Amino acid sequence: MGQVNTEDCAGELAGAFVFQSRPNHSLTRPQERLVFWSLAALCFAMATGFALMGYWLPLPFAGLEIGLLAWAFKVLRSREGDYETLKIEGDVVVLEWHCGNQGERRELNRQWARVVCNCRTPGRNCRLSLCSHGHATEVGKYLNDEARLQLAATLRSRLQE
Amino acid sequence: MSDAVHAHDDHGHGHPSGIMRWLTTTNHKDIGTMYLWFALIMLFSAGTMALLIRAELFQPGMQLTNPDFFNQLTTMHGLIMIFGAIMPAFSGFANWQVPLMIGAPDMAFPRMNNWAFWLLPVAGILLISSFLLPGGAVAGGWTMYPPLFIQGGISYDLTILAVHILGLSSIMGSINIVTTILNMRAPGLTLMKMPLFVWTWLITAYLLLATMPVLAGAVTMLLTDRNFGTHFFNAAGGGDPVMFQHIFWFFGHPEVYILILPAFGIVSSIIPTFARKPLFGYASMVYATASIAILSFTVWAHHMFSVGMPAAAQLFFMFSTMLIAVPTGVKIFNWVATMWRGSLTFETPMLFAIAFVCLFTIGGFSGLVLAIAPVDIQLQDTYYVVAHFHYVLVSGALFSIFAGIYYWLPKWTGHMYNETLGKWHFWMSVIGMNILFFPMHFLGLAGMPRRIPDYALQFTEFNQIATVGAFIFGFSQLIFLVLVLKTVKGGAKATDQVWEGAEGLEWTLPSPAPYHTFETAPVVK
Repeated sequence: MGQVNTEDCAGELAGAFVFQSRPNHSLTRPQERLVFWSLAALCFAMATGFALMGYWLPLPFAGLEIGLLAWAFKVLRSREGDYETLKIEGDVVVLEWHCGNQGERRELNRQWARVVCNCRTPGRNCRLSLCSHGHATEVGKYLNDEARLQLAATLRSRLQE
Repeated sequence: MSDAVHAHDDHGHGHPSGIMRWLTTTNHKDIGTMYLWFALIMLFSAGTMALLIRAELFQPGMQLTNPDFFNQLTTMHGLIMIFGAIMPAFSGFANWQVPLMIGAPDMAFPRMNNWAFWLLPVAGILLISSFLLPGGAVAGGWTMYPPLFIQGGISYDLTILAVHILGLSSIMGSINIVTTILNMRAPGLTLMKMPLFVWTWLITAYLLLATMPVLAGAVTMLLTDRNFGTHFFNAAGGGDPVMFQHIFWFFGHPEVYILILPAFGIVSSIIPTFARKPLFGYASMVYATASIAILSFTVWAHHMFSVGMPAAAQLFFMFSTMLIAVPTGVKIFNWVATMWRGSLTFETPMLFAIAFVCLFTIGGFSGLVLAIAPVDIQLQDTYYVVAHFHYVLVSGALFSIFAGIYYWLPKWTGHMYNETLGKWHFWMSVIGMNILFFPMHFLGLAGMPRRIPDYALQFTEFNQIATVGAFIFGFSQLIFLVLVLKTVKGGAKATDQVWEGAEGLEWTLPSPAPYHTFETAPVVK
């Protein structure tokens, strides 16, 4: 589940239109390490204490729990690099996205690109795509409906320029 | 280009309807709602057991139950109230409110959130259905002490399984809450700007993660003692039953704070709203919460002064327990200071919050009395202890849950609740609760032991008063049920802000809160 920093939505860069969005991550790497290792140390210290007295069964449960926590932070880290970028420069539209371990870059001709915005109900649950040559690529997936509709309008006007 | 890969989480976009919606939902609001309904059902189940207990205790002698069934009722009442009602209710609040309060679109791991909830009904069914098994439900007390717990029938094994499932659910829920709060806060929402409810849940989740392996290990050792010939706690084989008490309470006392810290957060949200003033001493509230959590690991043996321990250990646990009164006192002071010279109004959430402050303080003071080792040795396992922890958990945890539901229900449903019914519920609950539990202090001081179905004649009057209070308190919860159902069904339209003095991200949303919120994070100044 991602969020977007509103300040990096769209703008002009050396005459080109650039739209960028990425999920919000408020946890920095050092903070993440601090949280993980403090919890791991606490759990293992307690479980080891009991194990040394002969009551060893909290230890494997602590291991399982910290393993689950490590997996959770790993997933969060894998989402850290997620982004989507749309750049319109001259007649070229460049779409670039990265999500988890996958990513792609696609170049379209501005004259052939079409903005398609499908909403299940008027103004709600909208999905915005850029289509060309029979392929559709979703854009603005980290935005809410209002911002997505605004982006659709901006893209339409930019593509017609 | 694969659109399937690029497609975002689609839950909620044309989500399934009917039962499948609730089984498969990953929406934090749906899951929060399910937690709250589950908690309400468990509250009524365990509450019915409590009424049976009080009906039996209305007069000396055996009336309605037999001693074994009575013990089953007291055990299951405790287990279900703690693990089935109070904890899931707070998880319901966390699911609903944490993403809304930090400007996140959902929890960090929505699918895991769904699993964490759906484990609960499985455990609940295991616990309640154990009444139907040969030998009945567990009867050794919610603390599961050996040797009784090693000697019981099949229901004891099922209870261990249920505790494991509940623990797994708590771990998954806690990991979700920690990662959501730390990683999905809106830009600008620094840790020291977070609402106190979010802070208290962050610290609660830490406590849960720290203690759950200990509980899981303890009950697994009981299981192996019962079924695999080990002797961790079996004195006949050289094991130490007292060590179980140490291990259990090493988990159990932080568990007490797991049950009360979110309550502090709810009350800290409500009092500033109805006092129309910012919370007094926000930073000190955060530090006090953290201090309580840290200290909770150093006090476990005050539950077991009477097992025999060196005087130095008794002194350590006595003073460390008393030390917890300091950060708790800071909190009480800050709530009172927030109300001081505020433009107070007394809507139902505020009434419950004020009752919380007053009555939880009584529970805290009786806790201080019990912290004194020589006094505790006299009062151990008497009704004084029962009075103490019910003042903490009923007028503390449960009243804060009621306060929170009245406070946020208009935001959840889009309808205002019926204030008259709410006030009826409040006054009946407060009066009933005090009639029920206050006389128990006197019973305990007079020496009436807990967990007994019959008692000496001298305790009759106070027991009869307590039973009358129990039925007033119990039946007043039906008012609450009616009120909630009426509010869900309809009522006056709630405004977006709902309460004049309410501040925070959740109040910037429409009422009811849309199915998807904060897909774009707000920027907090």
